[in-house]
Amino acid sequence: MRTLVIGGGASGKSEYAEELFSALEGTKYYIATMMPYGEDSLARIEKHRKARRDRGFCTVEHYTDLAGLSLPTKGAVLLECLGNLTANELFYEGDSEKGAFEAIMRGVEALSEQSSDLVVVTNEVFSDGLDYDESTLAYIRTLALINRELARRFDTVIEVVCGIPVALKR
Amino acid sequence: MILVFGGLASGKREYVKNELGYTDADISEDIYGGAPVLYNLHELINTDADSERYFDELLKKEVVICNDISCGIVPLDRAEREKREAVGRLLIRLAAEAKSVVRIQCGLAQIIKG
Repeated sequence: MRTLVIGGGASGKSEYAEELFSALEGTKYYIATMMPYGEDSLARIEKHRKARRDRGFCTVEHYTDLAGLSLPTKGAVLLECLGNLTANELFYEGDSEKGAFEAIMRGVEALSEQSSDLVVVTNEVFSDGLDYDESTLAYIRTLALINRELARRFDTVIEVVCGIPVALKR
Repeated sequence: MILVFGGLASGKREYVKNELGYTDADISEDIYGGAPVLYNLHELINTDADSERYFDELLKKEVVICNDISCGIVPLDRAEREKREAVGRLLIRLAAEAKSVVRIQCGLAQIIKG
């Protein structure tokens, strides 16, 4: 079963995805994608690392080239999140929009082959106007295309609103 | 408490008046003014400390109206980022306590809880 979880900032999407993930069978691999950069992200990463240890998840930190990731065994996989992964491909690796899209689609499929169940978290960043610089608009477009393509391929798509799951596709 | 949530000018107040039967006089941005409907919750909250300060009072309201400010790029400005996080986290807590949560889009109501 492949599930895409989408939500805005602080919507409760991660908590919901982790709840789904906790209920799955087998070894649980949590793929964390946030690059340790700046005070805010370091604090966030530390907070999340501690929470995951407490829940018995195996954390794999992987920032770019998801297709190159090899898990030790087949298991349940939570990928958190596409927003970070897309930013890493575009702004750290310097991929083109098409390059980032293809790298992430390849990566998600490669991960999918190694997983019994896959939960992918992504971000709703599309409803706040267009008053952004060109590189941010490129990011928005790329993430939007990835979301659409994964929503088409996956079995289930859940939007989280104020911590409440709303099914977009079942 | 009923939580009514949606984008800017999506029709939240109209819903509260037309579907829930309140009047303009019942709707206020002043949390301590005694009106049953609190409007513009997102204007009131900048930090988690604000959420703590107002949480109990918010639960006493009949209706709380809040804009959805969560669906853009993470703000570069630290205070804006903190505000967005604080509003989001507060909404999750309020939604958990609310008897009903209504999301408004294009003037249409979707009851996502209750």
